[in-house]
Amino acid sequence: MASFAHIRSLTRHETILAMVVVFALVALSAQSDRFFTVANLLNQGRLMTEVGLVAVAMTFVIASGGIDLSVGSIMGLTAILIGVFWHNFGISLPVAAALAVGVGTLGGFVNGLIIARCGVPPLIATLGTLALYRGLAEGISQARSVGGYPDWFYLLGQGQINGLPTQLLVLFIFAITATIILSCTVWGRTVYAVGSNEIAARFSGLSVERSKLAIYTASGFAAAIAGVIFVSRVSTTRSDMGTGLELDAITAVVLGGTSIFGGKGTIVGTILGLILIQSLKNGLSLAGVRGDGTIVVIGAVLIVTILLSNIFSRDGFPEH
Amino acid sequence: MTATTDDTQAAPLPGKGNAFIRYAYRSYGQELTILCAILIMFVSVGLYSPRFLSFDNLNSIFAGNAYIAVAAIGMSMLIITGQIDVSVGALIGVLATISGTLAVSGYPVWLAWLMPVVIGMAINAVVGILVAYGRIPSIIATLGMLSVLKGGLVSVTGGAWISNLPPDFLLAQRVMLGVPFPILAMIVLTVFASVWLKYSALGRSLYAIGGNREAALAAGIRIQRRIVMVFTIHGAFAGLATILFATQLQVIQSTVPPNLELTIITAAVIGGVSVLGGTGTVIGSTLAAILFATIGSALIFTNVSAYWLRAVIGLLILITVLADMMRRRKVWG
Amino acid sequence: MQPLQKSYLALSDISKSFVGIPVLRNVNFDVRSGEVHALLGENGAGKSTLIKIMSGLFTPDSGIISVETKETRFTSTADAMRRGITTVYQELLLFPELSVAENILLGHSPRHAWGGIDWRGVHARARDLLDQLDSTDLDVSIKVRELSVAQRQRVEIAKALSYNARVLIMDEPTASLAQGDVRRLMSIVKNLRSRGVGIIYVSHRMPEIFALADRVTVLRDGQIIGTEPAHAVNEARLVTMMVGRPIETVFPKSEPIFGETTLEVHNLSSGSLVKDVSFSLRRGEILGVAGLVGSGRTELAHALFGLAPATAGTIDLKGTRVTIRTPSQARDLGIAYVPEDRGLQGLIKSMSVRENLSMAAFERNSKGIFIRFSYEKKRARNLIRRFNIKAKAGPNQPVGRLSGGNQQKVVLAKWLETNPEVLILDEPTRGIDVGAKAEIHRMIDELAKKGMSIILISSELPEVLGMSDRVLIMNNGRCTAIIDRENATPERIGAAMTVSQKAEAA
Repeated sequence: MASFAHIRSLTRHETILAMVVVFALVALSAQSDRFFTVANLLNQGRLMTEVGLVAVAMTFVIASGGIDLSVGSIMGLTAILIGVFWHNFGISLPVAAALAVGVGTLGGFVNGLIIARCGVPPLIATLGTLALYRGLAEGISQARSVGGYPDWFYLLGQGQINGLPTQLLVLFIFAITATIILSCTVWGRTVYAVGSNEIAARFSGLSVERSKLAIYTASGFAAAIAGVIFVSRVSTTRSDMGTGLELDAITAVVLGGTSIFGGKGTIVGTILGLILIQSLKNGLSLAGVRGDGTIVVIGAVLIVTILLSNIFSRDGFPEH
Repeated sequence: MTATTDDTQAAPLPGKGNAFIRYAYRSYGQELTILCAILIMFVSVGLYSPRFLSFDNLNSIFAGNAYIAVAAIGMSMLIITGQIDVSVGALIGVLATISGTLAVSGYPVWLAWLMPVVIGMAINAVVGILVAYGRIPSIIATLGMLSVLKGGLVSVTGGAWISNLPPDFLLAQRVMLGVPFPILAMIVLTVFASVWLKYSALGRSLYAIGGNREAALAAGIRIQRRIVMVFTIHGAFAGLATILFATQLQVIQSTVPPNLELTIITAAVIGGVSVLGGTGTVIGSTLAAILFATIGSALIFTNVSAYWLRAVIGLLILITVLADMMRRRKVWG
Repeated sequence: MQPLQKSYLALSDISKSFVGIPVLRNVNFDVRSGEVHALLGENGAGKSTLIKIMSGLFTPDSGIISVETKETRFTSTADAMRRGITTVYQELLLFPELSVAENILLGHSPRHAWGGIDWRGVHARARDLLDQLDSTDLDVSIKVRELSVAQRQRVEIAKALSYNARVLIMDEPTASLAQGDVRRLMSIVKNLRSRGVGIIYVSHRMPEIFALADRVTVLRDGQIIGTEPAHAVNEARLVTMMVGRPIETVFPKSEPIFGETTLEVHNLSSGSLVKDVSFSLRRGEILGVAGLVGSGRTELAHALFGLAPATAGTIDLKGTRVTIRTPSQARDLGIAYVPEDRGLQGLIKSMSVRENLSMAAFERNSKGIFIRFSYEKKRARNLIRRFNIKAKAGPNQPVGRLSGGNQQKVVLAKWLETNPEVLILDEPTRGIDVGAKAEIHRMIDELAKKGMSIILISSELPEVLGMSDRVLIMNNGRCTAIIDRENATPERIGAAMTVSQKAEAA
């Protein structure tokens, strides 16, 4: 009985969230006729892809009991490196992009090493690399932007396939893969086990260290891909790209029902959280709220969500 | 300001210089290391470019960055207790705008100085309540607060400049007792906070909570109240830092100063405040803030692009934290 | 009984339940000034709950607490301390980054006239308190993290004294001490008693109890079985009171049939608590491991299971030399380890019985990387039946909602799912009720009969004696003896457990 209540409470969170999303969509379309149009919704999908990719990977990170604050910086570093490799070193653009993604992924791997091998708390480790990677992006680029990419490169960020924004398809594939991994595979089970009780996971013969390495590397990879899409979408590279992105991603994940203490969470929830945030941002700006005003809402939503979930989940199991 | 004057412990045997150095190193190793690093920077960069040691440059290093040291005092207390605040940069931006707006709107300047402190305390008291009683991890509560403050500021002001500040508002430009005011404030506040942390039962309870929460509970310390208290104090220091920050130029830009929170956290961490809580001093964090300012200035004087500054800070955080982890691992076996 | 002497602290008719399960029932207990009152009981008998009630951490559901005959209630631990009731917990509650002096006087330090903490005074007072405990060698200015366990314990006792302790509760104070430190502690206890402090001494160690105690109280299943003057009882009587029946009949031990050697360990070393340990183990054999807490018993298991890989020595499994660096390697080689801390190391409490059961044996419940959910569930049902796990809601019940005994069966079943050749059990019956205990003992015996090699680590000597074919004794990181079943007596094992190793003391 208790177990069904447990599962039900999880699904309930997502059901409630789905209803909130629907309600928000209805309310926002009542506010402005420009909101609920195919063109606007697809465009919003385009805009939320970068955060979406990062948030999907962040779901793994947070479900395993960690956090990754460096994703925005990895994104910025990747973006800068595409420009530098292509423009300054004359490497062909596809190779340059692949190399930049490689470096971004390496950045995630380094996070994993510092956290899993050296035992540094993820918060501090990624706060340090947040500064380091952003600093590298600034130092390498000297705050100069690179533009003038060939037209075909914009397919990823500005083009469409069968009427759908290209990057939305990328996000879709990403999310489906992540859902399968997290809910149906041994790896996914390991993520939850590590997030619930790392010691017991180790004593059960699970490779805690290796899975943490993999999780943070994946997070770096997702941020790097997001960086490529970002460059392709805005046609230029700047070193401040992705600043503050970690906040949006963490908010989406936590809003989606992933426990900040680890051990539970789903990709479906994260995607719903993402849609809610993006529609709030868009709806508010259509209703005349200035761009930056919308992030007030995100911050407030983040705090209130966790507060409510803490109040309603009084009968959780303390692991220690 | 050096850390060797300490009357708190039974002095080591007189005449045994070695024992004294060992004792000083054991108790204040981190602080002494930073002090040495600062001195080495001054000497080496000064030899490369004597202008580095000019009064104007030294004044800009010390006085221009005193607000970081002051904010790092509150941050150190927070981290000692096992908490963190990533919204402090945004808070300082908001408070500076409030202060400047009051000053140009004809309110008395003392009110323009007082309000940042009061509002800083009020906002952070709310954060403290969310953390202590709402059981929201401080990283999340302050991340949320960061976006509320940042978004709120920009959407209200649009990032406009506040100019025509009344001259008597510009406290940071004054000189008192022959010392630029920011430097004086930094020293006084550092000493005051050091004494409070060392000599008051409340100050000691912060170390207890950060060091072993369970033992603190068993010792009858009211942890939740202390957490609200330390967030409120941290808010006060953010307000004091704001005064130094907002009154140093004729204008204030009503935006969030970029990366300020990172610099402040880094100053605390490098100053010897362990990220795992329970240790550290504010003398260390003040010295660390001076070290950053020195590095930043040195980059300019050695013609290295200032755009590398953040990478250097990031590297410093990682090295310090890794060293802290190694030290603990060795001790605990 | 000596009715003339008044009790300083008295509890009458105390009851306490947790989530409906009674832990203490109508307990009467008291301590007088200047006496040592020993409190005995098996794990799970309710001792720690009783201690926590006396120290103000828990409030009883019913019953009366009186201090100096006045009825009272403690609002907090600080409140109890102010009234002279102090506790030295087994898991010492100190601040590693603060100095010895500050740990002793935190919260009630001497002050300067201007209100600041008088650090000179703090150091002098701490010095004085430690001197009273004959600890003139302990530097009050160093950080507690640099101290040994025995030194930390003296800091805790000094802390208790700093509150003008009238009653000192000591929870298993010698559990992790070396023999020399135990003697030192005993003289401290006698010294405190002569100064009029009433001491509640919780321990299982008979020699200490008979050397120190004036009265002895035995607690079993949450009830007081009896309070007797120490000179009026003997060890056998106390054990019978604790266990509730003569021990000989408790253990189901079949006549062993040994097969070939499965595990051979030579000069194994790991860290500072496993030094040059050698032994071998045959199919169908149960090797008991006895030793004090901190003697290296658990560390030996950790070395074999790859949690703290061996730094020297060799391990042979069925004649093949192996290196074990991680738990997953150990598992793949056919070693299973049921750890001592069930809640922290053995189980993931928020996860279901089904998920916990397949945690160590994914290859059985998965196809490639994918989990076979329906098979996993079927398998879990099967195991629940076979091990008689009482999970009302079936395989999806969170493990945290099971009783201790059933939780332990889940851990055991989880590891038997890996079909191990060598099964290491670390305190398999700690803190579980008598019925489940007997069930687990029967399972251990059956597994040995089927040819499994078993290493049984336990701090309960009767369990080791009752279940093992041979007993290996650990002492200060070394194996001091391996004794056959027929020669294993409590005296011989006790001697090997506590014999001091002069060479090591240096």
